[in-house]
Amino acid sequence: MARGAVARPGRAAPLLVGVGFAALLAWSWHGTAVDLPGLFGGEGLRQVATYVVKLFPPDLSAGAWRDAATGAVETFAISLIGSLLAVCVGLPLSLLATRTLLYRGILFEARRPGPGARAVRVALYAAGKAVLNLLRTIPEIVWALIFVFMVGLGPFPGVLALGFHTGGVLGKLFGEVLEDVDPAPLEALQATGASRFAILVYGVLPQALPQFVSYALYRWEVNIRAAAMMGFVGAGGLGQRIHIAISLFQEHQLMTLILAIYAIVTLVDALSAFLRARLV
Amino acid sequence: MYELRGIRKVFADGTVAVEDISLIVGSGEHVAFIGPSGAGKTTLFRLLNLTLRPTAGALIFEGQDVSALSDAGLRRTRTRIGTIYQQQNLVGRLRVVHNVLAGYLGRWSAATALASLVRPRDVAGAGRALAQVGIPEKLWARTDELSGGQQQRVAIARVLVQDPDVILADEPVSAVDPSLAVSIVTLLRDLSHESRKTLLMNLHSVDLALGHFPRIVGVREGRVLFDVAPDKVGPELLAELYAGHRDEELQLEQLRDGKVSFGAACRPLPGFRK
Repeated sequence: MARGAVARPGRAAPLLVGVGFAALLAWSWHGTAVDLPGLFGGEGLRQVATYVVKLFPPDLSAGAWRDAATGAVETFAISLIGSLLAVCVGLPLSLLATRTLLYRGILFEARRPGPGARAVRVALYAAGKAVLNLLRTIPEIVWALIFVFMVGLGPFPGVLALGFHTGGVLGKLFGEVLEDVDPAPLEALQATGASRFAILVYGVLPQALPQFVSYALYRWEVNIRAAAMMGFVGAGGLGQRIHIAISLFQEHQLMTLILAIYAIVTLVDALSAFLRARLV
Repeated sequence: MYELRGIRKVFADGTVAVEDISLIVGSGEHVAFIGPSGAGKTTLFRLLNLTLRPTAGALIFEGQDVSALSDAGLRRTRTRIGTIYQQQNLVGRLRVVHNVLAGYLGRWSAATALASLVRPRDVAGAGRALAQVGIPEKLWARTDELSGGQQQRVAIARVLVQDPDVILADEPVSAVDPSLAVSIVTLLRDLSHESRKTLLMNLHSVDLALGHFPRIVGVREGRVLFDVAPDKVGPELLAELYAGHRDEELQLEQLRDGKVSFGAACRPLPGFRK
């Protein structure tokens, strides 16, 4: 079994990795100017305490309630529609970002694409990956700025921002799930004469679906927090109201809005957990 | 049906799975392939069902050299070849009805295939196929909730729905209970016989092969060692076939002593006392 033999790992390697990691930590600590005395020292804490005291009691007047509730509903809607849009953006792109659907693996063993066709397919894959990377590397908040500029203030740019960024994230994750499905059933479907589309629908997607749902629900939980922040750049929801409350020193109303965020994040986490238990 | 001329298969990692196989299989013939594990039998079957492409040599199916087939031609030809795998290769999360109806996928349009996932097309046909393999009540069950033996029956039902001219069964019974093995082999043999299909089967168990097939091909190290009638397969030939493979030699020992549980279902083997 000379070919399958694995060499015993050297002793120096773990030590080197350890030293390297410690050096990286030290450098990062220095680079981020961590200042523990400044954080826990008297002055900083006193300022925070003063502000927190000013937040109480929350403003529970009818007007403040109505404002917080409207904001909460808007934020919920942004996160929900934004996450659905993300699935619609990510799913088709993930098919392009899956090598085993385009040019390699069991579906291409019996008849390999010719050099020209293969080049086109590799290029499609690279393009799919590149678009997903672009969507993903631009943060939601930057997408929100761009879309506020394009379509104006309000919840709509928030929806677009979540859809684009999360679409990039989900597309990458979906693509990894698709490449990871068990190829044995695909081989059996192919042997019946099924087309690649039929193999995708009968063999690949049913295997991938539980993980798709799980990832989408998790990103929805992330998006409800992101949707709450989106308003800082004018893209609607609770964030917009929080931004106004901070600017106008309306501390009691700010407290009401913070409570609303807490309530809605908890609600979405619970809903997501419920759906996951039922669907996955 | 099949004509193989000097077939060779080398995988990308350099492993030679099939060294040099030449073989002719006539229409309606029943052939069993035996040999030690790693001899290349499974690879041979994947070449025969047109999932893999030979590295060298000619594979001719019904007078047509398959290397000359277009994508569409390849798909059309595959619809005429049904495969049953050792592991059932079903989609566990789909209901049994969809796994059985997957036998139609080579003939259905994309739209029909998609629509059938929502509203199954030929429920009656799927039910009939399941009745033939003895589990009609499992039509709407989730496939991964079935036992190994039941799943193997679903795989056979899929092939029945596909209605091919050739059935390739790659060790269809090595993952099921020994008591089920005989009934599944008999089922496949009888079904192929009734509908005049060609049946090629890889078998781990020499006993089942010799007892149910009129033609035995012994494969060793990617080559055909012998291709004879079962009464010509004696202890010397088998010893040569399995030489150096401890587990299989053990199986031969047990055959000699008549210890194998399902051996009783078969006629006495030549050269072995029962």
